[in-house]
Amino acid sequence: MIAIPTVLITVEPMVSEQARPPRALCPLGFIAGHSLGRPNDVTLQQRIIMDALGLLVAAPAPGQVIRRSFDCVTET
Amino acid sequence: MADKPVIEMSRYCVPFTPFGGQLEAASICLVSTAGVYHKSDPPFDVNGDLSFRVIPGTAHASELRIADAHYDHGCVDRDVNCVFPIDRLKELTHEHRIGGVADRHFSIGFTQAIRQLRDDTLPYLVEEVRSTRPDAVLLTGG
Repeated sequence: MIAIPTVLITVEPMVSEQARPPRALCPLGFIAGHSLGRPNDVTLQQRIIMDALGLLVAAPAPGQVIRRSFDCVTET
Repeated sequence: MADKPVIEMSRYCVPFTPFGGQLEAASICLVSTAGVYHKSDPPFDVNGDLSFRVIPGTAHASELRIADAHYDHGCVDRDVNCVFPIDRLKELTHEHRIGGVADRHFSIGFTQAIRQLRDDTLPYLVEEVRSTRPDAVLLTGG
């Protein structure tokens, strides 16, 4: 059986925690409709993606949703 | 003789597959619940839909559409990458920050039939993801 590691980006951390995700990132302040960042804000969107994918190589924290602020990341 | 005990997984158990590679060499597959589909495919029924869509890795965000009535579209109408960052993954690949973009990506739409989604749709979706053989899956909502 092929097993594939996963990472979740969620804006509903308390709901997601009930599903026991192996890895999950919650960008604080974002809501459904722009969970990956502001429109056309390439820097912010890339930062959120790389922070989420970074959980693949970080110390495991299964079941935990990592909450992180991205307020200071802006389009350059 | 007593019935054979059944081993059940505790609700506190967390399924976890280790990632043994490097991000710079990893192909990433997007799996979304945001109702994303390619413009050449039929849209999801916004009132409830148990189907899933396959989105080619060659697609650009400008070719993708959203069929969902349960979150605000003010951002996705301007940039689908806000919920399905296919363009961003390509840029990150070009910058050698990830290894690549999977050949296929996937989305489901809105449904309240969760048990039916789990029993009838997800087994097929999971098999499609497996056959795509990405190194990792990035799950996104709306």
